[in-house]
Amino acid sequence: MNTIENNLHTIDKLSELQQRDLWMNKLHPLTRLLSSVIYIVLVASFDKYDIVHLAIMAVYPFFCFMVGELSLKDGLYRMRVVLPLVLAVGLPNPFFDRQVLIMAGSFAITGGMVSMVVLMIKGLFTVLALYVLIATSSVEDICYALRCLHVPKTIVIVVLLIGRYIYMLGSEASRITTAYRLRAPRQKGIHYKAWGTLVGQWLIRSMDRAQVVYESMCLRGFRGDFPESKRGVRLNDVLYTLVWALVLGALRFTGAVELIGQLFVA
Amino acid sequence: MKTGTEKRVLEVSDLKYSYEKGHQVLKGVTFDVNAGENIGLIGANGVGKSTLLKLLVGLDLHFEGTIHVSGHSMSRDSLTHIREHIGYVFQDSDSQLFMSTVEEDVAFGPRNYDMSETDVEKRVADALERVHITNLRKKQVYKLSGGEKKLAAIAAILAMEPDLILMDEPSVALDPRNRRNLISVLGEIPGTKLIASHDLDFIVKTCSRTILMYDGVVRADGPTKDILENAQLLEECGL
Ligand SMILES: Nc1ncnc2c1ncn2[C@@H]1O[C@H](COP(=O)(O)OP(=O)(O)O)[C@@H](O)[C@H]1O
Ligand SMILES: [Mg+2]
Repeated sequence: MNTIENNLHTIDKLSELQQRDLWMNKLHPLTRLLSSVIYIVLVASFDKYDIVHLAIMAVYPFFCFMVGELSLKDGLYRMRVVLPLVLAVGLPNPFFDRQVLIMAGSFAITGGMVSMVVLMIKGLFTVLALYVLIATSSVEDICYALRCLHVPKTIVIVVLLIGRYIYMLGSEASRITTAYRLRAPRQKGIHYKAWGTLVGQWLIRSMDRAQVVYESMCLRGFRGDFPESKRGVRLNDVLYTLVWALVLGALRFTGAVELIGQLFVA
Repeated sequence: MKTGTEKRVLEVSDLKYSYEKGHQVLKGVTFDVNAGENIGLIGANGVGKSTLLKLLVGLDLHFEGTIHVSGHSMSRDSLTHIREHIGYVFQDSDSQLFMSTVEEDVAFGPRNYDMSETDVEKRVADALERVHITNLRKKQVYKLSGGEKKLAAIAAILAMEPDLILMDEPSVALDPRNRRNLISVLGEIPGTKLIASHDLDFIVKTCSRTILMYDGVVRADGPTKDILENAQLLEECGL
């Protein structure tokens, strides 16, 4: 499949996930956004050698993937563009930090190796938490949550429109490249001489469509603010955020892990 | 049958418009629409039907002449008000529908007018019922067929309960079955409609009155039957 179509397919699949009638998807958008943000901030704040405590933080994505009925395999696959980048951040560490932490037999485990693994895990957890967020929340949901947090209206609208136009840009690009390939079947890819014209066409057509979408919004009463079913915050929503904040905060800042460990030993 | 007490929904008087200097598309269009009428707006390709509809919903205010919608004169100030009274079904449903699901899209208009969620819910349910697509309620817009998209686009406008609905080439790109279905759906929807089309057969089946445009003006305005039986007139106007 053509890569553009492939990406559109991913968007389609994600929006299908977002529309599901699951408990997670029905939480208030602000709840979903806040718990993700809290999680990501806490994960990022772990010490660079603190691999054991960090590993326990897997409970959050684990819980979300289970309760949100998400597939880990699909998640990793869909995040494949950012995943290598995030994982690669720590790669140089072993070269800089050669301080030996532990000797495993004759093999020296250096600080750099540990901090590399810690960075990779942080990256992985962050990506998984983001995936949970976008697989349960549409652009509209996230924008609504941002509005609840009093993020300026203009910024939120820009986010909303980008979300709305991205699919359109993609579908327009897919249409143009398909038309091109059907009429140049022997060619691999698109000839460089045609790029200029095609990109020009793509921009013009996309702008035309963006214009019509915008007109359509205005004609239905869009006046710079976007409507959203005014969703009340339920007890569930508050509890969900609160419980996660407490659990994750405890895992991060107290010796909760050791306590649990001692419980088992005793 | 016209009586003096009928409510004027739309009054267009000596409307002139050009995209570029020196090339006037509309050269003085005049007509009225009364409540409850179904009017076909016909004319050859490029005669300015779409242009006229866009002016009627205020997508461009650089025109000469006057437009009154439900008593309000079209201007920048009255725009918000006018748009509550007039609904526009775009030729391209793909661009008209921008929310992710049918339900969300149909609810977009009512929500913009600060209705309570219960009222929005009711509007959405009614609108979907009217065009018989209640079953598509939760469906992703991109998964709809062309015919279903058109019906969803109409439902999105019906949900706003406008006094007047404008439609641009609604039958274009529909297969015969979807076209027949659309004709019967339009027949069931009460209210005032102005339908631009060059599909004469479609107009015969949906509209009792017809306005024929030619060379930037209204060339004929009367009962659909009279106009469409006048082969010579149609020929002259390039249809
Ligand atoms: N955006 C535009 N810029 C310049 N000219 C336009 C534009 N849109 C339409 N026109 C011209 O205006 C005339 C009327 O077009 P249109 O209203 O689309 O006709 P119809 O809908 O009856 O087929 C045509 O000659 C067309 O070329
Ligand atoms: Mg047209």
